[in-house]
Amino acid sequence: MPRTDPSIVCVNDDSTARQSTVDAFAGAGIDARPCTTLDQVEDALGRDVSCVVTAATVGDGDAFDVVRLVRETSPDTPVVVFTGDPRALDSLRQSELVVEFASRSLPNARERLVSLVSNAALETYQVAYPVPADEQERIRALREYDVEGSGAVDAFDRLTALIARHFDIDVAFVGLLDEHEERFVACEGANWERLARENSICTHTVLDEEVTVVEDVTEDPRFASNDRLRELDIRSYAGARLTTPEGHAIGALCCVDDEPRSYSESERTDLALFAEEAREQLVLRSRLNGARTETST
Amino acid sequence: MSSIPEDGMRESPDAYGFERLPIDPVESGTNLLVTGPSLGGLRDLLMALLVGAGDEGTILVAADVSAREALDDFADAGGDVDAARVRVIDCASDAGQGPGDHVSCVASPADLTGIGMEFSSLYERLHAGGNERVRTGIYTLAPLLLYVDDVRAVFRFLHTLSGRVRSVGGLGLCAIDPGAQDERTVKSIAQTFDGQIDLRSGRDGCQIRIRGLPNQPDGWQSLDPMAVRD
Repeated sequence: MPRTDPSIVCVNDDSTARQSTVDAFAGAGIDARPCTTLDQVEDALGRDVSCVVTAATVGDGDAFDVVRLVRETSPDTPVVVFTGDPRALDSLRQSELVVEFASRSLPNARERLVSLVSNAALETYQVAYPVPADEQERIRALREYDVEGSGAVDAFDRLTALIARHFDIDVAFVGLLDEHEERFVACEGANWERLARENSICTHTVLDEEVTVVEDVTEDPRFASNDRLRELDIRSYAGARLTTPEGHAIGALCCVDDEPRSYSESERTDLALFAEEAREQLVLRSRLNGARTETST
Repeated sequence: MSSIPEDGMRESPDAYGFERLPIDPVESGTNLLVTGPSLGGLRDLLMALLVGAGDEGTILVAADVSAREALDDFADAGGDVDAARVRVIDCASDAGQGPGDHVSCVASPADLTGIGMEFSSLYERLHAGGNERVRTGIYTLAPLLLYVDDVRAVFRFLHTLSGRVRSVGGLGLCAIDPGAQDERTVKSIAQTFDGQIDLRSGRDGCQIRIRGLPNQPDGWQSLDPMAVRD
């Protein structure tokens, strides 16, 4: 049965071809929302979209206008350009816009497209950052230990205030890494709420058992071109990951400053200890909430 | 190599094997990072990994070498350079300089859109031509990291490439010389792959080890000097 909410967006200014593609998805039990213009795509991206399939030309632009729009509004969403000959797009393309291409001129083209998109819709297909090997388990663990309503936020607020003073830095925060964004559950020195994972340093921190230190963001090839970090005045960074008892890294406890800064071994050890404290708060609050739920039922 | 690993688990019939290397077959849909010194046999190792059975197709992304050099090396490794089954995306030569039907050219290693277009197009044509099993190799990732302004585009490119390999049951191999790259970047990039093959060369010749994959030999394994030249 098709899902109630469409999760594939099909963009094409040729109504017959567009409908054929929508029908091909429907035949596979996948709902697809037909779109003709960029405005319609933007509107569709406000909902839960797993993949965008676009023709070479759309009502008011071309495939790469669609790609740019998706990257700006929903950067992790995969895009597949479904066209006769991809080389026909040569004059339109920009060299660092990465998408998938599927040929419309080969036999069984729409069957191939449906098969490809079924895989492309996997969450990490076109993301611009490294993904932990245990990503699915990690996300499940995050839901289990999520701090909303657990009372841990007050403890994290106190902890980050203490850390900012201890290290004499601009900002200290606890960030949890959701599927597509980092969520700042406590943030001393700034009012950050969310950051796309492709812009987040913590998305690299969770891969490392050691404390991650970036002494100067502009000198680190992973982050030197990241304008969003510059906008947030993040010049130096130190982060220790927060892991569940099962070993899944669900977030990080971090120090940020607007000046280049190094961290001594002693400071790294201190940060790791603070992170251990935050981790224990998460685990204890989660168990407490679980016990309360059991008692109330 | 043995078709039945030591733990008794029988490999799947569509696993990819490696005739001249001490590596047990790996499952279809696997993506591997191949690391080692560029001047210490890395290219030979990648080519040896790309040589498969007669019914397989091969796509080579030549970013550090010309298409001609890549094809010559592939042939030296024992590969059959039949144009119906072997295609090269040349990122290192001037357009139009490649050797005939085998080769598609893109403007530069920074043209990730172009490489992606050619890769998808070649993959679909190989499939349409009856090559259901395809090995893909990138030699090397270094020019991509050097010439692309933002490393995030390289992550997106690698996820897209490895995603297609996974979805169609191919084998993906990307070579990099970690000694010539930022260590932190290589560590993050390695996360994009299912496993890693490391190459080292010393007084006793070349050795490899496989990390991250099940049912593979433990530790460093010596290589046949004819397979990989030190």
